[in-house]
Amino acid sequence: VKVFVTGIGWAGAAGMGTGRGSTPFALPPGDLPPISRQEVFAEPDSRFGRLDAFSRLALAGVALALRDAGIEKWTEPRAVGIAASTTYGCTGTDLDYLATLGAAPGLASPQLFAYTLPNVFLGEAAIRFGLTGPTVIVSDEEGTGAAALETALDYVAGGGGTALAGICDLARPTRLPERAESPPGALFLVLERRPTREPLGALSARGRPGHPDDTHDLRALAGRLCTGNRVNRPDSCFHGTS
Amino acid sequence: MSRVWVVGTAAVTALGDSADVLWDELLAGTTGIRPLTRFSTAGYKTNLAACVPGLNSTGPGSLVNVLLDRLCKHLPPLPPDTLLIAATTKGGVDCLERVARGLPASTDDIPLPAFGAVLRRRLGLNTPGFTVSAACASGSIALGRGAQIIASGAATAVLVVAFDAVSEFIFSGFSALQALSHAACMPFDRGRSGLTLGEGAAALLLMSPDRASREDREPVGELLGWAASNDAVHITAPARDSRGLIQAIGAALAHAGIEPGEVWGVSAHGTGTIYNDLMELNAFRAIFGERNVPVYGVKGALGHTLGAAGAIETVIALRALAEGVVPGTVGFKDPDPAAVGMVHAAPTPLRGRRLLLTNSGFGGVNAALVLGGRPE
Repeated sequence: VKVFVTGIGWAGAAGMGTGRGSTPFALPPGDLPPISRQEVFAEPDSRFGRLDAFSRLALAGVALALRDAGIEKWTEPRAVGIAASTTYGCTGTDLDYLATLGAAPGLASPQLFAYTLPNVFLGEAAIRFGLTGPTVIVSDEEGTGAAALETALDYVAGGGGTALAGICDLARPTRLPERAESPPGALFLVLERRPTREPLGALSARGRPGHPDDTHDLRALAGRLCTGNRVNRPDSCFHGTS
Repeated sequence: MSRVWVVGTAAVTALGDSADVLWDELLAGTTGIRPLTRFSTAGYKTNLAACVPGLNSTGPGSLVNVLLDRLCKHLPPLPPDTLLIAATTKGGVDCLERVARGLPASTDDIPLPAFGAVLRRRLGLNTPGFTVSAACASGSIALGRGAQIIASGAATAVLVVAFDAVSEFIFSGFSALQALSHAACMPFDRGRSGLTLGEGAAALLLMSPDRASREDREPVGELLGWAASNDAVHITAPARDSRGLIQAIGAALAHAGIEPGEVWGVSAHGTGTIYNDLMELNAFRAIFGERNVPVYGVKGALGHTLGAAGAIETVIALRALAEGVVPGTVGFKDPDPAAVGMVHAAPTPLRGRRLLLTNSGFGGVNAALVLGGRPE
């Protein structure tokens, strides 16, 4: 079953971008700039500023990917799914919550606690964009996003029609020791069976889960499919068909 | 598409480490909910939780390590190429508590995929796996994902291991949300006022029938259908019109290729919170109409084990299918009007070989599994 990549969105230390934009895809090491509502949504969104930093980062990636695919706007809920990989998830929010707990047990913040599950940003995305398909965190050990991509591909190929696959991580909290890890940022790809706009590439739901080849590494995939990378790196290999 | 057999199960809960004892105690209506001694509960809404007896951490590592050690003693033999899917909500958050308090902590236990990698090494599995996190539906969504991988032929053996431990982090959060019951939780009861936290772990080994037959493994049951959905309404409250759960159940039944009339029992999420239980009862009524399918929940006995719940409840549901009886709902005495005729305090005969299992959670997630009895 052929599945088309119809949108890509990312937010990282070097800024934000979309698959069809002129900016080459990159999630380099570095500090993530704060993300404001105005950078992501044209319309006022009173909840965005109250979200934790992890949710704001992820939501930016989801919004940009849906916009790139031309399916950000909606009138009726749609059974679009999201599978995303994360290593640290909302650990920064967890530490913020623990700080309120430390003050006095009875004063722990229910508002912060609501954002201490790594999948909650998926609910925020579902509410904003009317997505009623499966929403799940699927984190592989290497942080490539391969397991999330395979989950989304299976959902689309199995009749779900449309899904997003992504990765999202803030910088490792400074209170945790250094370890091998990917640079921070959010990257989401929109996968569709029947695209309504010219796709950026295509994939097949193949390969054995847990054995990610280059195809299923989301960063590598975005680096090959984004227009900005192809224009600016003419020697790069375009993967898939369009 | 291959069928998906369950060829091995294990569970560690507040009712002990033995699946047989767990089943017997559930049928007897025993509860594992007790006063909590792991940390001070002063200032919280309750002092009750369903903790695994004797589960204590003595070093800087997460309690989850000890929990998984106990679970691993009950696992069936595993082929080295088994794909491992771990499922949890907060994994080693107890280590993060230690970090925040300036205490020695094994920080390797903190990243979300940490225990999947640890388990894989401990069990000698050579296929890189992954970790699923979908709030209180983590276990059931992981089982659905594992079943999907087997059904597609991408793997022939998948081990799903779901786990979560009671920590002050989680306990304080649910207390702050006013979601904890003062007394032991009372799922589907008119007087219910909240949930009681629990902890535990469960493992289910899934195999294709071909492989199971080749390895002389007896199936204990079958995963016939699976689906998940999002309410897209609220991040912590269920949809009042049950739309997400109805969607997930409908999709799971369609995937299994069966009609609602072919379902003979329901293992419900049954947290004991006012709105979750009502949302579920409304969903079951919408699916089954006036037919009173026996519905039960185990959280009055085991507490809400969060990411482990779906897997523990699947182990129990498969046993129910094997025994032809569903457990009573511990804590259920005075029925919510919507539960009359559906939920029972005592064990109820199961008159068929298919059972529906549901979970819902924060982030708007819903999951539904259709389980079948031992293949004939």
